[in-house]
Amino acid sequence: MDPARRLGFPQIDVLAQLGVSTILLGGIYALIAVGLTLIFGIMRVVNFAHGEFLMLGMYLAFWAWHLWRIDPYVVLPLGAAIFFVVGLVVYLLVMKGVIHASHNVQIFTTVGLSTLLENVALVAWTGDFRFVRPWHSSVVLRLGATAFNLSQVVAFAIAVALTIGLFAFMRWTHTGRVMRATAQDRDAATLMGIDTDRIYRITFAMGIAAVGVAGVLVSPLYSVYPQAGLQFVLLAYVVVVLGGLGDMVGALLGSLIVAGVEVVGSYFFGSAWKEVLYFLLFIGVLVFRPAGLFGQRGAENLGV
Amino acid sequence: MSRRLLAVVVVVSLFAFAALAAVTHGQSGEYKIGVLEPLTGPLAFEGKRHLEGYEVMRDLINERGGVMGKKLAFAVGDATDPTAAASEANRLITREGVKIITGTYSSTLCGAASEAASRQSVIYWETSCVDPRFAQRGLKNVFRTEIDGTGFGWYNIEFIAKHLSHRFNMKPNQLKIAFLSEDSSYGQGVTEAARKRAKGDFGMQEVAAEYYAFASTNDFTPIIVKLKQLNPDIVHHIARGNDAVLFWRQSREQNFGFKALVHAGATGYGSPDFGKALAADGNGPFVLAEPGPGFKVEGLKPEAQKLEKDFTEAIKKRTGAEPYASHRLAGPGLWLLKLVLDSAKTDELDKFRGAVMSLDIPVGSLINGWGVKFAENGQNANERVQHYMLQWQNGQMVTVWPEEFTTGRAKWIPLGAWDSRK
Repeated sequence: MDPARRLGFPQIDVLAQLGVSTILLGGIYALIAVGLTLIFGIMRVVNFAHGEFLMLGMYLAFWAWHLWRIDPYVVLPLGAAIFFVVGLVVYLLVMKGVIHASHNVQIFTTVGLSTLLENVALVAWTGDFRFVRPWHSSVVLRLGATAFNLSQVVAFAIAVALTIGLFAFMRWTHTGRVMRATAQDRDAATLMGIDTDRIYRITFAMGIAAVGVAGVLVSPLYSVYPQAGLQFVLLAYVVVVLGGLGDMVGALLGSLIVAGVEVVGSYFFGSAWKEVLYFLLFIGVLVFRPAGLFGQRGAENLGV
Repeated sequence: MSRRLLAVVVVVSLFAFAALAAVTHGQSGEYKIGVLEPLTGPLAFEGKRHLEGYEVMRDLINERGGVMGKKLAFAVGDATDPTAAASEANRLITREGVKIITGTYSSTLCGAASEAASRQSVIYWETSCVDPRFAQRGLKNVFRTEIDGTGFGWYNIEFIAKHLSHRFNMKPNQLKIAFLSEDSSYGQGVTEAARKRAKGDFGMQEVAAEYYAFASTNDFTPIIVKLKQLNPDIVHHIARGNDAVLFWRQSREQNFGFKALVHAGATGYGSPDFGKALAADGNGPFVLAEPGPGFKVEGLKPEAQKLEKDFTEAIKKRTGAEPYASHRLAGPGLWLLKLVLDSAKTDELDKFRGAVMSLDIPVGSLINGWGVKFAENGQNANERVQHYMLQWQNGQMVTVWPEEFTTGRAKWIPLGAWDSRK
């Protein structure tokens, strides 16, 4: 029997802490998932190398910290710019060639890219665990009986800001509208005079910039090593499917749900059960609401 | 005509070589054993160190009269993976004619290598692998000088019961202990052995036993919140990598106050990364490992002290650094083989086995403090293969137990408030 059941129904302070943990962990998942849902939703490309760009973001923060003692939050704007450019370059060198190819070809390409990046990191920086330890990574905020890690609170706040920002961008800017149009029907968009190649380029660069930012933000919280991306990327796929492809707010809510299942499952049933639980949820959503919990019916085909 | 001449030359030179080989072999009075190590591939790094340990000890043995009055020599095989381990074992037996094989550094290799040796009734002398299955196959030709993974759990509980509990002013059966472990076969092996001994031998109160997948655990808070309510005195945590740092950091955030945390092995808390990540914030956890800073050679028996100094000196001369764990496993393992061969005076299996079983050497007699008492299954006894408890103190792992073998002393017993451990 799991010891939690012997404890009976949790006290209010325990529930509060579980709630706080859910929100903060959900923030980290959302940071990683928004970039993925952007690329997934608009380009319809399953980017298996997403986790490796996260890892590169973590290394950027590590080297800036290690060589010049620059705080990850200072690196952040620069990181967004660097990864935007990285995204453009990768698009031109790799993705452009396969964007019109079949899904199988795209999967092989991004899996190859993922292995390539991971091994380049391994060769260049070895497999050692590295750490970024700015002052805020060990600051603990306490509110009543609950405890928050400052770096995690900041990561959550930026995740919410990023989600809202991208949502507004997609909704109200011209480029955002054009991106949605391209997602809905590539051929029709082309006929309307939209340069779809440019849209894909921008989308991919934005997605990679978002995940690069995520890497910089999580670097004070987790170890930096070549396989660091694998730890999160599977979860990011679950989140994106739950939230609906290409849906920013869905990604945020999906992240909170996955984090909630993980936290509550670990507490009540033991952590060995948490993956069973959220993959059950994942399969359930695919079977009963294939467009995602918050997606419109039919959106799985349209990508909106 | 020229082809015939060539054939004649080849045949004559072959005979000449064979004759020369026979003569040199007879003259030198060598005794050759097979050594299997992973010398290429992912394990090569440690395999080479292990071989270095053997070679340095071989030279020390030869300076001290060799084995059975002969000079000890090696026929080395490269065991990259289990398949290569088996085929190289066969080659050493059939081509090199060895009657004893030793090795193999890794738990992934020792099973296959020893199977191959068993099929030809050749003695297999393992000095480092920790797979518990190794000694559970009923093979009469297989021996292991190092303890297995379950022995780590045995030592952790030994340390908690004999060294920690009285310093908490508690009896072992009053201690509440929570088991937390990553879910690989290593983590489970150590944890299950520790659980069994904690309950069976000391009547400790187990309040939780929780396994997790280390690669996908991004948040320990729910587990910590749960454990906090169960209020354990001891957390027995087998960690694998990043999970050690994450659990420790989040325990501090949640102000989870336990009296001690105990881990085993070179991963997780046992990795230098733990100290790099946390520095003085990582003060306190105990790690069962090979002896490190603080190890006191004077704690050993006099004859072992001399050998230890010579061994460390020779390793330093050769590598430019202090001996690593792999060196320290290979060296005494080979020395023990010498003791057995000298007493058996033969490599014939029954007599060799008899000599192994009659060895009874107290702790502190071999260079890293080991003693010897083999069980019928060919496994050296936990009580004799002395292991050491190290503690993180200001970014360094200091040897703290058993106290007769170290100048270091355990601190923060019980651990006390998180910010007071300086």
